[in-house]
Amino acid sequence: MNHQPKNRISRKGLTVWRLYGMIETVVFALLLFGIGVLTYFFEWPAWIYAAAGGVFILFGFFFIYLFPKIRWERWRYEVREQEIELQHGLFIVKRTLVPMVRVQHVDTEQGPILRKYDLSEITISTAATTHTIPALITAEADELRSRISVLARVAEDDV
Amino acid sequence: MSEVRYKLHPISALINFLKGLKELILPFVIIFGANLFRGGGIGGMFSEGWQGLLPLIIGGVVLLFMLIAGIIKWKRFVYWFEDGELRIEYGLFIKKKRYIPFERIQSLNYTEGIFHRPFGLVKVKVETAGSGKAGQAEAELTAIYRAEADRIEQEMHMAKRGYQQQAVVEDESALYGPVQAAVPAQPEEEIETRILYRMSLKELLMLATTSGGIGVVISGVALFLSQFAELIPYDAIYDEVMIFMRFGYLVVALTVFAGLLLAWIISVAMTLIAYYQFTIHADDERIYITRGLLEKKKVSVPFKRVQGIKMTQNPLRQLFGYVAVTVESAGGTLADKDEKIRLFPLVKQRAMKPVLEELFPEFDWSPELERLPKRSRPFFYRLSIAWLIPAFAALGYFFYPYGLWALVAVPVIILMGLWQHRSAGYATTGRQLTAQFRGVSLYRYYMMKKRIQVIAVTRTIFQRRRDVASVHATIKSGMLGATALIPHLARENAEDILAWYEPSGQRQTDPDDEHMKNPQPNEIG
Repeated sequence: MNHQPKNRISRKGLTVWRLYGMIETVVFALLLFGIGVLTYFFEWPAWIYAAAGGVFILFGFFFIYLFPKIRWERWRYEVREQEIELQHGLFIVKRTLVPMVRVQHVDTEQGPILRKYDLSEITISTAATTHTIPALITAEADELRSRISVLARVAEDDV
Repeated sequence: MSEVRYKLHPISALINFLKGLKELILPFVIIFGANLFRGGGIGGMFSEGWQGLLPLIIGGVVLLFMLIAGIIKWKRFVYWFEDGELRIEYGLFIKKKRYIPFERIQSLNYTEGIFHRPFGLVKVKVETAGSGKAGQAEAELTAIYRAEADRIEQEMHMAKRGYQQQAVVEDESALYGPVQAAVPAQPEEEIETRILYRMSLKELLMLATTSGGIGVVISGVALFLSQFAELIPYDAIYDEVMIFMRFGYLVVALTVFAGLLLAWIISVAMTLIAYYQFTIHADDERIYITRGLLEKKKVSVPFKRVQGIKMTQNPLRQLFGYVAVTVESAGGTLADKDEKIRLFPLVKQRAMKPVLEELFPEFDWSPELERLPKRSRPFFYRLSIAWLIPAFAALGYFFYPYGLWALVAVPVIILMGLWQHRSAGYATTGRQLTAQFRGVSLYRYYMMKKRIQVIAVTRTIFQRRRDVASVHATIKSGMLGATALIPHLARENAEDILAWYEPSGQRQTDPDDEHMKNPQPNEIG
């Protein structure tokens, strides 16, 4: 669309997503390993090994390299005086417009992995929906949170 | 001064008991049912001595317990008015107190069940805005006299108007007895309100016969049967079924049809009872909806809680020009999810309009809809066909040549898609967004800009290529949100909607240009 929201999420967010991708890949690899073991014991055809290997490489490529990259590049946000605009999505690009008046509360949150990278996620709640900006530098996230909550209090309904 | 404590009508002990009983029905039936089939019927139970009677004894004890619990619950329940609050004290083992400030009360909903009506009682549900937590500051008065319910309402109005002296009311409302005498008198509040609409018998019949209730009943029966599948002695039945089968498919088909017919008749009767004498009243603040034959329900919705209006038309009803209208309102409880506020369960389009115009004068009820561009047509069927290709391939391969008949689905899907494409549309008129889309039924949402929580625009890779986008507008409905969809509309139109919605309105001044990347003036920070 004509102009994208201007802020990106932290570059470290990409690293974290890669990490998540690696965890997923490891879990998936265990599954494939199980199939490999079964193949060995039941003497199934040898091409299954090759197929498993191929699937493993593809999975890793998508979940560690490609998807995080697209997601990260897609992720934009912008907090303006009267509204918040978000853009994200892997296959379906979603742009969301949240007027400040509608914001009910803002939370920041960090799990263990995010904490290690000094990242936080911000969750913006309206009366009916919640929206998350997944990876911001903690200080930045805290600042943004207080800014949104101030703006949300000031914003006036246009009735 | 106003600390007279009121009790509920004794009948509520019985109602509490029956309510508890209802929850126990299934376990009871299973326990007893299993025993009946196991040990040669009821006779077997008695012949086995006290062990055979164990289920009966346990059942009896539980029943007795429920009965006593019901009575104690009634004994313990008191409510009174103090400091502009409705205060309630109750609890079986743990005493609970709940204070609800009158100004927080959103509405009082009345229900008259079969036990209420002979005594002129009502069940009152006190609804508050519920600030996000499900049913927290809610209260339910199981059975009180009409006049007492009106007294609560009066107290509420007084508190809201800021009168602290409730002298007048106090005199009249001594305790239980005097109020009883005043029961037959109609509450004044019904005189104040205007009656806007009364459902005609024809509409009621139309509603009953075309409602989707049939499906519910059928699935209910199926569920019921599946619950008891283990208890039915299949071996005994099996032979009979085989004999039965020899009568041929005709008989089977007839039986199935008779079953469906019966289910349909039941659903018609249920709808008739539930929506009998459906009436809409309104005063300055609220809409009141009353309905029901055996159980009379009265629901009220404050105008300021109305978030949007949704109209639904299934194809059959569309053919006859009938619409169902629901009010999406904020608050309420999760438990009442099925109690969607149906403003019109079913109404002729022509009859509906004047009522809606009177209730919600700020809305434009027949805006000119902007339709979808031609290029978005394939989006309505392409994906579903793509999903089905493997199924078609499998059917064609394994069940050649009959499997190929599955391909008949393709034109059906395409026609349905074209219909969906033709039905969808939107309009932004002033501060109002109207969104229309079709699943099988046609949905139309009317929403005010100030009630829309969020608007989102989504685009897939394919949509980007064809320059179309889908718009989702979310309003608050009950505890959650309701989302209106405008599928696959032209990208410019999606932009227009976003620009219309954006509070700062910076998009509106933007020329509709692809390469606008200059910084925005309104930014801060």
